[in-house]
Amino acid sequence: MIRRRFPWLSYLLVVTGAVLTVVPFLDMVMTSFKGPGESGTLPYRFLPKSFDLSNYRAAIDQLDLPVLFRNSVVATALITGSVLLTSSLAGYALAKLRFPGRDFVFRLVLSTMMFPPFLFFIPHFLILVHWPLAGGNDLLGRGGAGLTVSIAALAMPFLVNGFGIFLMRQFMVSIPDEVLEAARIDGAGEFTVWWRIVVPQTKPVLVTLGLLTFVDAWNEYIWALLVSTADPDVMTVPVGIQLLQDYVDPTRTMPIVMAGLVLSILPVLILFLLLQKYYIRGVMLSGLK
Amino acid sequence: MTPPRRGTAAGGLSRRHFALTLPSALLASGCAAPHQGTGRPGDPVVLTLLSHYASGELKEALQGPVDEWNATHDRVKVRTKAVEFTDLLTTFMVRQAAGQGADIIHPYCLWNGQLVRAGVLRPAPAEHAEEIRRGYGKAAVGAASVGGNVYGYPTEVQTYALYYNRRLLRGAGIGSPPRTWRELEEAAHRTTRRDRYGNTLVQGFGLSTYDDSTTVGQTLALLNAAGGTFVSADGRSTAIDSPAGRAVFDLEHRLVTRGASAPGVNVYKAFPSGQVAMVISAGWWTGSLQPLMGKDYGDVGVAPVPVPEAGDRHATLSTGFMLGVNTASEHPREAWEFLHWLNTEKVSAKKGTTATRMSALQVSVGSLTGRADDMRTLLGKGGDPNLHPFLDALAYAVPEPNVPGAQRAKSLLRKNIEALWTGQQSVDEALRTTRRQVDQEVSRSW
Amino acid sequence: MVNVLTPEATERAHGARSAAPALDSGGRARRRQAVVAYLFLAPTLLFFAVFLILPLGFALLLSMSRWAGFGLGDIEPVGLDNFTGLFADGSTFLTPILTNTLLFALGTVTLALAGSVLVATCIDKLRFQGLWRTLYFLPIVTTVVAVGNVWKYMYEPGGLVNGVLNALGLDSVAFLQDPDTALPSVVVVQAWASVGSAILILTAGLKSVPGSYYEAAALDGAGPVTVFWKITLPLLRPSLLFVCVTQFLAGLQSFALITVMTGGGPGDATDVAALEMYRQAFSYGEWGTASAAAFVLFVVVLVVTLAQLWIFRRKGEDA
Repeated sequence: MIRRRFPWLSYLLVVTGAVLTVVPFLDMVMTSFKGPGESGTLPYRFLPKSFDLSNYRAAIDQLDLPVLFRNSVVATALITGSVLLTSSLAGYALAKLRFPGRDFVFRLVLSTMMFPPFLFFIPHFLILVHWPLAGGNDLLGRGGAGLTVSIAALAMPFLVNGFGIFLMRQFMVSIPDEVLEAARIDGAGEFTVWWRIVVPQTKPVLVTLGLLTFVDAWNEYIWALLVSTADPDVMTVPVGIQLLQDYVDPTRTMPIVMAGLVLSILPVLILFLLLQKYYIRGVMLSGLK
Repeated sequence: MTPPRRGTAAGGLSRRHFALTLPSALLASGCAAPHQGTGRPGDPVVLTLLSHYASGELKEALQGPVDEWNATHDRVKVRTKAVEFTDLLTTFMVRQAAGQGADIIHPYCLWNGQLVRAGVLRPAPAEHAEEIRRGYGKAAVGAASVGGNVYGYPTEVQTYALYYNRRLLRGAGIGSPPRTWRELEEAAHRTTRRDRYGNTLVQGFGLSTYDDSTTVGQTLALLNAAGGTFVSADGRSTAIDSPAGRAVFDLEHRLVTRGASAPGVNVYKAFPSGQVAMVISAGWWTGSLQPLMGKDYGDVGVAPVPVPEAGDRHATLSTGFMLGVNTASEHPREAWEFLHWLNTEKVSAKKGTTATRMSALQVSVGSLTGRADDMRTLLGKGGDPNLHPFLDALAYAVPEPNVPGAQRAKSLLRKNIEALWTGQQSVDEALRTTRRQVDQEVSRSW
Repeated sequence: MVNVLTPEATERAHGARSAAPALDSGGRARRRQAVVAYLFLAPTLLFFAVFLILPLGFALLLSMSRWAGFGLGDIEPVGLDNFTGLFADGSTFLTPILTNTLLFALGTVTLALAGSVLVATCIDKLRFQGLWRTLYFLPIVTTVVAVGNVWKYMYEPGGLVNGVLNALGLDSVAFLQDPDTALPSVVVVQAWASVGSAILILTAGLKSVPGSYYEAAALDGAGPVTVFWKITLPLLRPSLLFVCVTQFLAGLQSFALITVMTGGGPGDATDVAALEMYRQAFSYGEWGTASAAAFVLFVVVLVVTLAQLWIFRRKGEDA
C-alpha cells in the first residue's frame, strides 16, 4: 500500500536535500571563475561573468602544486599500502590461524578503535621528534629533528588501522577452511596460502578498504598541518590550500582559494565516482560491526 | 669577547655526532639534515632566519640586505625562511620542539616572555645589549627586554593612530579628524550608512573582530590614550578593570549598540574600499593601503588616537618585533655578528644621509624602527606624510606588555572584547570576566 | 589441523633428524602456526606498541608535568596541578570550551540523525537510489578544508546564503561573526558533511528489514507513519546506535572544521576542547595543560559513549 502511491513527498524531500548537498559544490566551482571584485560583493550573483581560468593559474603559481601533490601522493600511497598489507596479514592470522593469545590480540585490535585520535596527537609528535637514529638524532632520540622532517612523518601514525584489521578478519572468517587445508596438504606454506588463496578471494574487500583509507589519508588535515609547520617541505595539498587564505589581493582571495580547492578534491572525486560501489559498501560494512 | 665561544670543541663534537647519524638519516626517506652547513672545515656557516616577512615587498625588503651580506661574507651565510604572521608563534614553538628552530628568529615582542621562559631566546651579549640600550627608543628597548635583560635588536616598531577617510568625513560635513572621544563618537554616527536589508555600507568607526590587532590593538590604544594599562604596574595582575578600562569598554559598547560599528566586517578589506570612515590601526598599514587604494589613498588621513577629554596627554599603544638568537643555535657569535651588521652599522641612505640597513628596510615598506634619529633622517624629506603621526607617537607610546603568557592573556582579552561587541556580555561582565580569566590562566606564571 | 607441514618445515624437520612421529607432529604444527601467526601480526603489534601503548604512557606522564616541549630533560612533574587548573575558577575550560564541545556534538548528532533517518527512509521508496546516495555522499569524500572554506564563504555577507535571504526579502545574518549564530552555523556544516555516511548505514539497516513485516502491516491497514514508528524505527535500532555513537565520537573530537571556519571565534563562541588542546601545546608551549585537557576530553568521550550504549540497551529491553 505504501509502495503503490507515487511517493511525491519523498521525492520532494530527497531532491531538496540533494540540492542542498550539491549547491555548495556548484558555488565553489562558480566562484573559482569569478574575477576581481566579483565575489563577496552585494548583491550576490551565482554565475560568474565569464569562465576564465586566471584564478586556477594564480592558485598554481602561488602554491608549489607539484610538490604538494607529490607529498600528498607519497603519504597517501604509504598509508594505503601499509594499511592494506598489515590489515590483510593480521586479519588472516586472527581469522584462520590458531595461536595462544588470539583473543587478546583481537580484543586489543578492537580496543584501538575506541581511543580518540586527539589523545595521541601530542605524544605522536613527541615520538617522531625523538625517533632514534633519524634526522640527526642519536640512539636515545636526542639532538635532531627525528622523523618530523620527512614525508614519512605524514604517514607514520596511520600505517596500521584497527578497523581495517577487523574488516579483513570478518571477511576471511567466511573463507572455507577446506580450501586452505587443501593448499596446505599440497605443501603450501602459510605465506603462500595467504598470498595465493586468501588475498585473491578478498580482493573486493581490499579495494573497499583501500578506497576508504585513500580518501581519509588524502583529506587528512590536522596532523599534516602540524608536520608541515615543523617542516614546510612536507606540506600536503589541503594544508597548502588553506595557506592561500593569506593571498595578498583580498578581492581575489576567495576565487583563488576555490580554484585551489577544486583542483585538490578532483583526484578523490574522480576515484570515488569510478569506484563508488566499493566505497559505499565499505561504509555500509562499517555499520554492521 | 664576552659571548661564549662554542668554536672548536663543541663544533667538533657535533660534527662527529652528525657523521654518525647520517646513514640513518638517509634511511628515513628524504630526511633533511636539521642544521644546514655541514660543519666540514672550509664550508661556510649557514644561519637560518625565520620571520613573517613571507610575501610581497616585505620579503624583498629583507632579502636585499641578506643578499648583500651573503655577497660580501664568505664565512657566514644567511638564509631566510618565512611564514605568515598568524602562524609565526606556532611555527617557533613547533620547530623548536622538532629541533628545527632557526638560528635567528624574529618574534613579535609580545611573545618574548614566553620564549624566554621556554628557553628559546638567548640574552644579548653585553656589548650588544649596551648598543641596543643606547641606540633605540625606550618603548622599543622595553619591548625587547624581559626581566631587565635585553634579548634582541628591535626592528619594526609600530605605533597606533587613527586612520580616517577624508571623503567620508567631508561627506558628513566634518572638516577635521576627531581629537576627543566625544568628537569621535559624533563623527562615527554621522558617517554610518546602511542599505534597506540592514547590510552596513559604511561604518563610522571600524571595530573589527578580524584579528588581534583590530580588536586588542584598537582597544589597548584607546586604553593607553585614557591613561590606563593592561598589566598592573607591579606586573602581577591585570589592570583592565580600572576606570580607564571601563571607559574604553563603555565607548566601544556604545559604538556597536548604536550601529556606528559593525564588528563582523573585515576592516582590512572594508577601509580601502571606502566602507569605513575611521579606524585605529598601526603604521605598517600605510604601506599596504597605498598600492591597494591607488589614487584613492589621497583620501586617507592619519591623526593621533583621540583622548577622552580635550587637553588630555596623548598616549597610544606601541608594538614591535625584534631579531634574537636561538638558544639552540650552534653559531650564536656569527648570528649576533650578522644582527649587529644589519641593525647598527650605518650605511649611506639618500642625499648623503646615513641610516642602518634595518631602518632603511623598514621605511621602504612604510614602517618604522625604534631608532628615532634614523626615522627623522629617512622621513624628513618627502615620503608619506601619513607616517609622521606614527613617528611622533614613538615619543609617547606605551609598549605592549610582554610577560610570559602575554599571548594567552591577549587572546582572553580579545575573546571578552568580542563578547562585549557582540552583545554576549555587558561592560561589567566583560571587565570582570577578563580579570578573572587572566588572573587564573596567566598570572600564575607572572 | 593436522599435518600442516610446509616445505621449509619439512626441511628443518629433516635437518633436526627428527622422524616426526605422527603423535607429536600435531603439537609441533600448532607451535609452528603460532610462530607464523605472530610473524603475520608482528608489524601490527609493533605499531601498536610504538603508536598506542607508548603514547598513552607519554600522555599520562605529560598530563602531570609542566613542559614547553623542548628537551626531554626539562619535563617538570607537577602532580595534578594541570587537572585542577582546568577546573579552577576563571578557567575557560569548563565553560565555554567543554560546553561548546558538547553542544557541538549534540547539535550535529541531532541534525545528522534526523536528516539521515528522514532521507534514508524516503530514498528507500524511490527510483535511482544509487544516484541519490552518490549525491549525498559528495561531502564525505571532500577534505574538511574544502567543506569549511566553501561554507565560510557562503555564510559571508556577499555569499550564497545571505544572497538567498536577501532575495526572499529577509535581512542579512552575520552567521559566523555573531556569537549567537556561529556555533549553530558550524554545527549545520558538520551535520551536512556527515549526513551521507549516516544515510548509507541506515539504508543498509533498512534493507535488512524483512519485507514481510511491511506486508503484514499493510494488511492490518497501518498508515506510513504508523509503519515508520512501529516497524522501521525499532528495527533500525542497531544502525541508529552505530550512527549515534560514531557521530558523537566525531563531534566531540572535531576541530578541523572549526579551525578552518572560525578558529574558535568570535570570542570563544566556537572554541572546542580539541582546538584548545592543540593551541595550548603548539602555540603556548603548555604541553602539560594540553595533555590534561586531552585526558579530560577522553573521559567525556568515554562517558558519552557508554551512556548511549546503556540507553539503547535499556530501550531494547523495554520493547
